[in-house]
Amino acid sequence: MKKTTIKRIALLLVIAALLYMSMLVCNVSLGALSKGIVDGIAFLGEMFPPDFSALPDMIYPAVETIMISFLATFFGALLSFFFALAGASNISPMWLKSISRFFMATERALPEIIIILLLVAALGLGPFPGVIALAIGCIGMLGRLFSDAIEEVNAKTIESVQSAGATKIQVIQYVIIPEILPSLISNTLFRFEVNTRLSVLLGAVGAGGIGYEIFYSFQLLEYERATTAILVVLLLVFMSERVSDYFRKKILSNTKLK
Amino acid sequence: MIEVKNITKSTKEGRQILKGISFKAKKGDFIGILGPSGAGKTLTMRCLNGLTKPTTGEILITIDNQVHDIAKNKGKELRQMRQKIGVVFQGFNLVKRLSVLENVMIGKLGQINQFRSLFKGFNNEEAQKAYEALEKVKIEKLAKRKVASLSGGEMQRVAIARAIFQEPVILLADEPIANLDPTNAKKIMKRLKPLSEEMPVIGVFHQPEIASKYCNRIIALKDGTVVYDGNSDISEDLLMDIYGDELQEIENQALVSAPLA
Amino acid sequence: MSLVIDHPYLIPSERLKKRAFIFSVLAIIVIGLSIILDLNPLLFFTDGHHLINLLGEMVPPNVDILWEKKSIFSSILETLAMAFLGTCFGGGIALGIAFLAATNTSPHPVFRFIFRGLMSIERVIPKLVIILVFVIAVGLGPFAGMLTLTIGTIGMFGKLFADAIEEVDPEPVEATYATGASKLQVIKYCIIPQVLPSFTANLFYAFDVNLRSAIGLGIFGGGGIGFEIHMAMKMLRYKDALALILFTIILISIFEKFSDYLRAQILNEQTLK
Repeated sequence: MKKTTIKRIALLLVIAALLYMSMLVCNVSLGALSKGIVDGIAFLGEMFPPDFSALPDMIYPAVETIMISFLATFFGALLSFFFALAGASNISPMWLKSISRFFMATERALPEIIIILLLVAALGLGPFPGVIALAIGCIGMLGRLFSDAIEEVNAKTIESVQSAGATKIQVIQYVIIPEILPSLISNTLFRFEVNTRLSVLLGAVGAGGIGYEIFYSFQLLEYERATTAILVVLLLVFMSERVSDYFRKKILSNTKLK
Repeated sequence: MIEVKNITKSTKEGRQILKGISFKAKKGDFIGILGPSGAGKTLTMRCLNGLTKPTTGEILITIDNQVHDIAKNKGKELRQMRQKIGVVFQGFNLVKRLSVLENVMIGKLGQINQFRSLFKGFNNEEAQKAYEALEKVKIEKLAKRKVASLSGGEMQRVAIARAIFQEPVILLADEPIANLDPTNAKKIMKRLKPLSEEMPVIGVFHQPEIASKYCNRIIALKDGTVVYDGNSDISEDLLMDIYGDELQEIENQALVSAPLA
Repeated sequence: MSLVIDHPYLIPSERLKKRAFIFSVLAIIVIGLSIILDLNPLLFFTDGHHLINLLGEMVPPNVDILWEKKSIFSSILETLAMAFLGTCFGGGIALGIAFLAATNTSPHPVFRFIFRGLMSIERVIPKLVIILVFVIAVGLGPFAGMLTLTIGTIGMFGKLFADAIEEVDPEPVEATYATGASKLQVIKYCIIPQVLPSFTANLFYAFDVNLRSAIGLGIFGGGGIGFEIHMAMKMLRYKDALALILFTIILISIFEKFSDYLRAQILNEQTLK
């Protein structure tokens, strides 16, 4: 037998063993699944028809979700930009870069839901901890993307502007920001979509908004009401995608070369 | 007016790259610095605008009838001196996503108040002056284009306009035509030449024939010393003397560096 | 002074006006929304001490809990198992669906339409909803979490896979058809070898994504380490919670590095050949 074939079989065996063990850990059983499918379909029946009379109650939470997402994206992008400046090797000293990059990597590894649990524990329920949690949640992803974009700015351009006597703040304002503007805008808009989805999830642990409606409709066994909330969420997510797509195209074609 | 007095520069390991370079340049001079690679041309230029400090020697630049030594100045004083030194680079070094006019105005960032640049930006008078700088290099029609959409020759002219806009007392050009085709290279030389009536223009060039055609003075460097300083009618013998070893050197370098690559 | 330049785009004072307008609109929106949502910056000062108090209560982390409490170990296993199964099952199903949903391999455009549609609907449905439904169907625990991750993986990676198949270089495919090969043969000998490296690389990425989601899902009934963190916070055992959170960060970071490394290996191997 060839060596590669043995290797392949060994790999398959390892994967199969891992799968088997994982299935034991997760209590996977076909019986439970088939029963679950029956139960699940029966349950989905309970969710219909949606209770549209609850719709007026959903409007404010839906708007609140969008507002939370918008503010969190705004503050988050702002925060991320400062972290990105600190984390870019071409304008920041080595020690600051390492600290900022370490913080961003740690934040990326920290699920948003845990940030909100911490903030809810400290600040209580409501949109305030929600906005802060989502804003902090931006830093890991946006900060890294921004700082990569900053590092791609031509070092010689920066040097030449500095050699005409410009200070660091002027360099950031007149060289860095114009050069990374497209990346700044398109990534921030993308993050707005992500934040809209997340704010639905976060609502369920107390940040307010439409996620709260879904979670508590389930808890109160008002499934038809939950369906309405879910439909509203689908609409929100879909709209946030459209809106961000629209602005991305519009703004990018504006900043594009004339 | 700039006077370079016997500058030397050694590496950290103690190898001397510049071995005492001296020359004077005044209004009316369009100096072309020639020399094989490794002769110290670019290093000399970096010393002239303070990007590198020479190990010994003085570089005296007269600004507003006061003589400053850029080799000694640091921090704020150095920044103030640099504002009065226009530099044009081989790679243009423009901000690609800003308009041509804005790129010219950036040349004066060092001369305007930090607070104003942050909140108000440039004023209309500066825009007007920047536009006039563009007129001097004859690309005012491109003023509102994004730099990224320009050709190399146009970008270099924008860079020259940016340097002019600084109202410098001296203009340095580090291989300004190295990245350009012959037609554009000639255009750039034609734009640089008249500027020397207002301030000394010092350029590093790779093409001796172009330099001798447009410059009115040639300084040739070899192994960190000045081997020729005089008018631009350079002889064939001189060229052989300057560049003669280069071919041989390139061959040697290829042999040495091949296994590393 | 009369300006030679006439275009508003070039006149600094005009640009300043425009910029000031945009900034004030943005500022009004942000401040307005902040007022509506009761986001008072003063809260940072008046309530800031709550955050500091909380942090004070969390430090030092009770690291001992990681080996002293038996359920923690099984929770970690549950989270990993959830993510692993979700990736394998979801990835496998996504693979099958991708072939039905890609234009160049789909047996009929109807399949393409249906599967692409289903996948994009799935991507819009929040995970919260899916886990709540599965918890009702199969009960609390990692099984529900795993099913949620499976569905999520299908939605996201089915599309990525289908796109990858559609981007396959058509020339060898046509050449193989020209030799009289059947569609299945073309898929096996021509398309799969071309897309396999990107599939495997994406599966590692999927595991990364699923591991993070698995922690979030734990809170809503999926069990695992997320549930443990939630419980620790609820029971005000903050020192335990911090230990678990730090452990989670390390776990995710390690798997991220590991999957980045394997992904780079796979993709490099492909380019070398």
